[in-house]
Amino acid sequence: MANRGARVMGNLNILYVEDDPRAADAVQALLCRDGDRLAWEQTGTAGLQRAGAEAFDVIILDRMLPDIDGLTIVSRLRGAGVGTPVLMLSALGRSENRIEGLEAGVDDYLAKPYEPQELVARVRALHRRSGGAVHGAVIIYGAFECHTKARTAFRAGKHIPLSPREFALFRYFMENAGETVTREMLLRDVWNMNFDPQTNVVDVNIGRLRRKLEDGFATPALETIWGAGYRLTRGE
Amino acid sequence: MTAARSRKRSIFGQLTAASIVIAVLAVVVLFAVTTITVQRQTRASLAATVATDMAGLIDIYASGGREELLRRVADRQAVVSLETRRSHYLVADGSGRALGGDQRRWPQINAAQSEQGFITLADGTAVFAQGTRLSPDLQLLVAREYASDQAALMVLSAAFLGVGAAIIAGVALVAWITARHLARRMNAVNAALGAAADGRSASFPARQRGGDEIDEMAGHGTRLLARQAQLLKAYKQVSEHVAHEVRTPLMHLDHQLGAMMLQQPEPSGAHGGGPLALAREDIRGIATMLDSLLDIASAESRRGDLAGLAQIDLSQLLENLAELYEDSADEAGLMLETAIAPGITLLGERMQITRLVSNLLDNAIKYVPAGGHVRLSLVAGPRLVVEDDGPGIPRDQHERVFQRFARATVPGDKPGHGLGLALSRAIAERHGMLLRLGDVPRGAQFILEPAP
Repeated sequence: MANRGARVMGNLNILYVEDDPRAADAVQALLCRDGDRLAWEQTGTAGLQRAGAEAFDVIILDRMLPDIDGLTIVSRLRGAGVGTPVLMLSALGRSENRIEGLEAGVDDYLAKPYEPQELVARVRALHRRSGGAVHGAVIIYGAFECHTKARTAFRAGKHIPLSPREFALFRYFMENAGETVTREMLLRDVWNMNFDPQTNVVDVNIGRLRRKLEDGFATPALETIWGAGYRLTRGE
Repeated sequence: MTAARSRKRSIFGQLTAASIVIAVLAVVVLFAVTTITVQRQTRASLAATVATDMAGLIDIYASGGREELLRRVADRQAVVSLETRRSHYLVADGSGRALGGDQRRWPQINAAQSEQGFITLADGTAVFAQGTRLSPDLQLLVAREYASDQAALMVLSAAFLGVGAAIIAGVALVAWITARHLARRMNAVNAALGAAADGRSASFPARQRGGDEIDEMAGHGTRLLARQAQLLKAYKQVSEHVAHEVRTPLMHLDHQLGAMMLQQPEPSGAHGGGPLALAREDIRGIATMLDSLLDIASAESRRGDLAGLAQIDLSQLLENLAELYEDSADEAGLMLETAIAPGITLLGERMQITRLVSNLLDNAIKYVPAGGHVRLSLVAGPRLVVEDDGPGIPRDQHERVFQRFARATVPGDKPGHGLGLALSRAIAERHGMLLRLGDVPRGAQFILEPAP
């Protein structure tokens, strides 16, 4: 049984390889605000050396660097046995660009322009995933319970009937309890889509789940983080 | 294609067959010419021998008379001749009664006209003979057997046929070995071209010693591949740089707007956001439009390219999408119906096909008014249809809506860049499929099926 009560906040040791100082300033301000330590390198060569020499929790890597392509850097790191999770931040945001990144060994891919909160959420999720958290048969977060084998959901001991796709969504929120889950993460991890449909399929599916989780309760179950995504509350 | 058919169509197989036919014809013609020539020569030789003998006997008759002629004919028959052609004579009176010689009956030959030719004697012997009337009551027949000439001709024919068969076999063997060697090299060039056309890695065979036309062709193929690779690389670099150079300033602008919004939160407008929020939406719209344009170009450039394609369970993919869109349709007051035949597969790129079908479902949900129906169906072929009972698309715009930035002029048009259907068609064509609008009396019917 896993209790996901504690949110993973700052204090991450992050390597950021980016040649654009303005973009670097923005990211630096964003992450340092949450208490993370950010080591910034402007070239691929320097980033590669530093990634091999020091231990980092997460590497944020720009794809188009002046000296070495970001994909090459990831391939070399993986080839050298460096398994630090890599979030690629790139101006190339098409489906095939993402696939190229993931095939090269990148763990997550975020296209520019992005919402600052989305970057933070992705970095946190990436670090959490790399921790290798293994969820048991029951995940508990606040008033919520997710019985993964029985595929049943409870809030404050009350059974909440969910359809299979609603349960898959609920389970994803429970696995990322307390953290911001972005639309792109949902599309990628729940529906296996690496593009954003033109219509509001994500919002509608979230809306349905939200109504079921909140039916008969006075407090919200899901909160919308503007510009970033959604977060499961403790439901208490 | 069966091996037998490919052999039949192979120019090398045809060349081998043609070489054999020509060799056979040459041997037959040569054999016929030689045989006719030998036969003519034999006849001429026989005619000359018989004529000479006849002339000698005529001289003897002229100088010595009938008795002398009979004696000389008897002498000639008594002498053991070294000639391989055995002689026959007949001295007869005017009525054909034998007076001398080894023959007893005058054959079918006209002595009055000194006729000569191939005849058969009374005992069945085949000879070349000449008959001559020496006086009104005396006629002379001189003949030579030609069996030895025929035997020699048979030996010659047998030898000729043997040598001819050996020549034909030799020509066939050389043609087969040459054709096989050439076919192997041509197949290697063909395979490389086929692989290149399918988008697989391709390499042309190495140059043979000396180099020939096939080497030249392989060289051109190698240069063509290099040029194609260079063009693709250049296209990729340009598209990546365009994306980078456009998105980077957009990102800076977006961050500045975001920072301004944090410093001075703006009230929500009629559309759910203030001017800064709308400006940020526009920035994302520009980025999305740029991506769509590049996706269309990428799909178009890989038309017919099989690289990266795999067998996907199209039925399952559609079931999943229908499940995802069911709530959206419900929310929009629409009924999403499905009729998906199970187990239908497609050689394709899962994400691209997902995107294509998503675009069609998105369109239907956007344009069909509440209370309408959207139907997603799949049958073997595969033939995928997304149809609705919404406002539809006028017949004269059925092709136009698939063009970039083209939007149908229909009531209730929704904002967008007009790139979704262009991208869907490009994806269809990249998979060897055709996406078109069907002719239906009501609503719109998008059909995805194998290209004709």
